[in-house]
Amino acid sequence: MTSRREFLKIAGSASAGLVLGLRLQGKARPGAPAEPVFHPNAYLAIRPDGSALLTVPKSEMGQGVRTALPMVLAEELDLDWSRVELRQAMPGPEFQHLGTGGSTSVSTTWMILRKAGAAAREMLVAAAAQSWGVAPDQCHTEKGTVFGPGGRKASYGELAEAAAHQPVPKTPRLKAPKAFRILGRPTRRLDGPKIVVGKPLFGLDVRRPGQRFAAVLRCPVVGGTPKAWDASKALAVRGVRAVVQVPTGLAVIAEGTWPAFQGREALAATVRWDEGPNAAFNSQDLENQMRSALQGPADPARKVGAAAPALAAAARVLEAEYAFPFQSHTPMEPMNATAQVRSDGATLWLGTQNPNTAQVRAAAAAGLEPGRMAVHVTLLGGGFGRRSGTDFSTEAAQVAKAAGPGPIQVVWDRTDDIRHDQFHPATLHHLKAGLDGHGRIAAWSHHIAGGAVLRSWLEGQKSPGQAETEANGAWDIPYDIPALDIAFAEVQVPVPLGWWRAIEIVPNVFARECFLDEVAHATGKDPLALRLELLGRRGRVKLGGEEVDIARLRRVLELAAEKAGWGRKLPAGHGLGLACHAYDRRTYMAEVAEVSVKKGQLRVHKVVAAVDCGIVLNPEGLAGQVEGGVAWGVSALFSQITFEKGRTVQENFDTFPVLRSPDMPQVEVHTIASLEAPSGMGEPPVPVCLPAVLNAVFAATGKRLRRLPILSADLA
Amino acid sequence: MPAFQLTVNGRRRSVDADPETPLLWILRDNLGLTGTKFGCGIGLCGSCTVHQGDKAVRACQVSLQEAAGTAIVTIEGLAPHGLHPVQRAWIEEDVAQCGYCQPGMIMSATALLADHPHPTDTQIDAVIGEHICRCGSYPRIRKAIHRAAKGGAR
Ligand code: FES
Ligand code: FES
Repeated sequence: MTSRREFLKIAGSASAGLVLGLRLQGKARPGAPAEPVFHPNAYLAIRPDGSALLTVPKSEMGQGVRTALPMVLAEELDLDWSRVELRQAMPGPEFQHLGTGGSTSVSTTWMILRKAGAAAREMLVAAAAQSWGVAPDQCHTEKGTVFGPGGRKASYGELAEAAAHQPVPKTPRLKAPKAFRILGRPTRRLDGPKIVVGKPLFGLDVRRPGQRFAAVLRCPVVGGTPKAWDASKALAVRGVRAVVQVPTGLAVIAEGTWPAFQGREALAATVRWDEGPNAAFNSQDLENQMRSALQGPADPARKVGAAAPALAAAARVLEAEYAFPFQSHTPMEPMNATAQVRSDGATLWLGTQNPNTAQVRAAAAAGLEPGRMAVHVTLLGGGFGRRSGTDFSTEAAQVAKAAGPGPIQVVWDRTDDIRHDQFHPATLHHLKAGLDGHGRIAAWSHHIAGGAVLRSWLEGQKSPGQAETEANGAWDIPYDIPALDIAFAEVQVPVPLGWWRAIEIVPNVFARECFLDEVAHATGKDPLALRLELLGRRGRVKLGGEEVDIARLRRVLELAAEKAGWGRKLPAGHGLGLACHAYDRRTYMAEVAEVSVKKGQLRVHKVVAAVDCGIVLNPEGLAGQVEGGVAWGVSALFSQITFEKGRTVQENFDTFPVLRSPDMPQVEVHTIASLEAPSGMGEPPVPVCLPAVLNAVFAATGKRLRRLPILSADLA
Repeated sequence: MPAFQLTVNGRRRSVDADPETPLLWILRDNLGLTGTKFGCGIGLCGSCTVHQGDKAVRACQVSLQEAAGTAIVTIEGLAPHGLHPVQRAWIEEDVAQCGYCQPGMIMSATALLADHPHPTDTQIDAVIGEHICRCGSYPRIRKAIHRAAKGGAR
C-alpha cells in the first residue's frame, strides 16, 4: 500500500475485495478440501505511465489462464492490451485460494474479475469527469484513455492518482457481451515471446546465489525405507557435498544436478531397503480384487427408479466389463522444487497448482508458521493435476532444512517422476442395460471398482462425497432412462493417487459411451440416432442435485455429427465413432473420430469437436485446448502404468510411450455462439475422445475394445 | 584436471567438470543457460535439443568431452539480436501451451529448415516425431514450420 502515486490499487489490498463486495463463491469438486470456496482478490494496478500490472490468481500450465484472465480484466477496464504486464499471485492474506484445477479457473473468477475491472473503470471515469467538470456519462473509455466532451481526453496513467480517491462503486455496470472488444477475439498467449527465446520461466530454471542441487534416492516400492547404506561412495563423486536422510529417502546434495544424480547412483549400489508392506503389490492381483469388489456392496452415486427389478423384468439384458489402467501424468517438466530454509523464514520457488496447501505443508516441514514460507509460483512445464500434489514441495523443504541455510533445488529425473507419481487409478466397470420389448433402455446400471482419488487427496479420509466424485461422468449420464443404478466400490490401493487431466470422467465416460454404442448396435440403431432419441427434446433437467441443459448437449452432438459428415460413405477400413458429455454439468462437448485399421494398425485420422462452453473468452486458446485434449485422449488409449513387486514396470518414455507428432490426428473445432456464463476448457475435450475413437474402431472392424490400453494383438 | 574449452552462442567458455557430464547440465548448471530443458535424460524427448555445429543434437546425449572444441548454439543464442524467423512463426501460430518442450522443438525446426527449406509434413514428422510435447501442440508446430518456410527461415 506504499505509494498511491505509483499504484492505483483497485482490488489488490486485503480489504479491497470486501470493499468492492467482490466475494467469489465457487464450489470445488464435491468433498475436495483446501479449496471448498474460491475467493481470490484479483489485483490490478495502473502505473502513471499508463501500463497496467495484472496479478493472475491461477497457475499457468498451458491452459492459457495467464492470457484469458487478464483479457477479462482488460475488457471491463478498456485497457490497452499491448500495455498489460503480468504478475503471478503468491499465497498470502490476499490470496488464500489460488488452487488451479478442475477446469474451474474461468468459471470461478470471471465475475470477480469483470467487477474488479468495471469498478476500476468507473473510478477512472469519475476522476476524469470531476476534473473536467462534466458528468461521468458524458465520458467514455477506449484503450486506456478516458474521452470527454469537446475533445477532452486523459490517459489512465494520468488519472491513476485521482481515481484512487474516488469512492469504490458498489455495483459497477458490466459491459454487454456484444460490446466486448478484447474478449472473444483470438488472442495469443502473453507469455509466448518469452517462451520461444528460452527465458527462465519454469521451476527447474530457478537459479539463486549459492544454490545447490539434490537428488533423492527413494525406495522404488512406495512405503519402503532404507535399512543400511554407505554414503562414502556417493561422497567420492566429484561435486557431491553431503548425503542427508529425509522422510522420503536419502538426499544427495551436490554442486550440480549431474553430480547429484551420479552420487545417487553410487549410493543406490550400497543401499539395502526395507521394502515395507507393499512389496508384493501388483496389477494382476488388484484387478482380481476389483472384479470381486464389483460383485459385492458398492456406495451409491445416484439411483433413479428401481433398476434392479427393471433389469430382472427386462426382455433382454446386455452386459459388459470395461477396464481402464493406471496412468501417469508425465508432464514434460519433471517434478522439482527449490527451497531455502533459514531459522527465521523460508522460501519456495515452485511450479504448483496448489500454492496455498504447498505453503502450509512445506512450512510445517520446515518447522515454521505458514506466513514465514514465501512461495513464488513459476510457470508449470505441464501440470495435468500432478502439480496439485504437495509431495515434491514438502520434500524440498525437508531436504533444505536438513542441508543447511542455502537454497537447494531438488530435481526428479523422469524415472522418479513416473515411479513416484500420484497415479490416476485403474478401474474396472460393470455395465448392464435392460431393454424392453421394443428394444428401449428401461434400466441402466454402471458399477465402478477401483481406488478412490478423493481418499488419497484427503490423506486417507473417506468423504461422504466419495462415490459421487469417483463416479463423475457415470452418474450424470444425460440420457433419459427410467431407472439408473450408478455406484462405486472402493478397493484400497497402496500407492498414492491423484487427479489427472479430466479426472475420473475419462474412464467413466469411456465405459459409458462405448457401452451405449454396444446397445445401439445390439438393437440395430444408428449410434447418433440412439443418442438423440435418449437426449430427447428436453431443456434444463436436474441430474442428481445439478442442472444440465440437455438442449445444449444435443446441439453440440448434432453439430459435430453434421461437420464430420456422419453417415457418409467411407473408404474401406475406415470408421466413424462419436461420443458426447456435459463435462461437470457445465461444458458441453461432442466429438466424432475418423479412424482406419489396416494390417492391425490403428490410425486416428481426424477428430471433429463441437463445444458449447458459454461465452468464448479466447477462441485461439480454446482451439489449443481442444487440440491438446485430443492429444491427451489419444495418448491415453496406448499408455498404462502396471505394478509388479510393488513398483512400476514403467520408468521412462520408452516403456510409457505418449503421443507423438506422426500419430496426432487432425483436429477440427466448432463452437456454439452463446451468451451463457463461460465454463472451463482445459479438460472437457479429453473424455469424449476415447470412446469416439473406440466406437470408430468398432465401426471400422467390428471389434469392440473394452480394455485399455489397446494392444497390437487387439487389432491383429 | 584441465578445464574444457567450448564455444557457446559465439562465446568461448571454459568449464571445469567431470568429462562425462552431459552437455545439458553443463549448459544449465555451469553456464546458467536454462533455456535447454531436461525432459527424459535418455534421448527420447528432444527437450534438450541444441545445435552442435550445424546439427541438432540431444544435449543429454553429448558429454562435456565430446562437446569440447565444438561450437554449440542454444535457444538463447539462436538469434542474439531479436527473433529468428522460426521463433516469430512460433509466436504467430501461438504454438506454446505450457511451453516447456518448445525451445527443443524450435532448435530442431531451425536445423530442419536449414536442410530442407520447404519440408513436407512427412519430413516435419520425421524430425518432430523424435520430440514429445505432452500438451499436444503438434498441429501448431507443423503450421509454424510451414509458415517459417514460406517466409524463408534461414
Ligand atoms: S532430455 Fe534429452 S532427449 Fe529428453
Ligand atoms: S507445450 Fe507443454 S510440453 Fe509442449
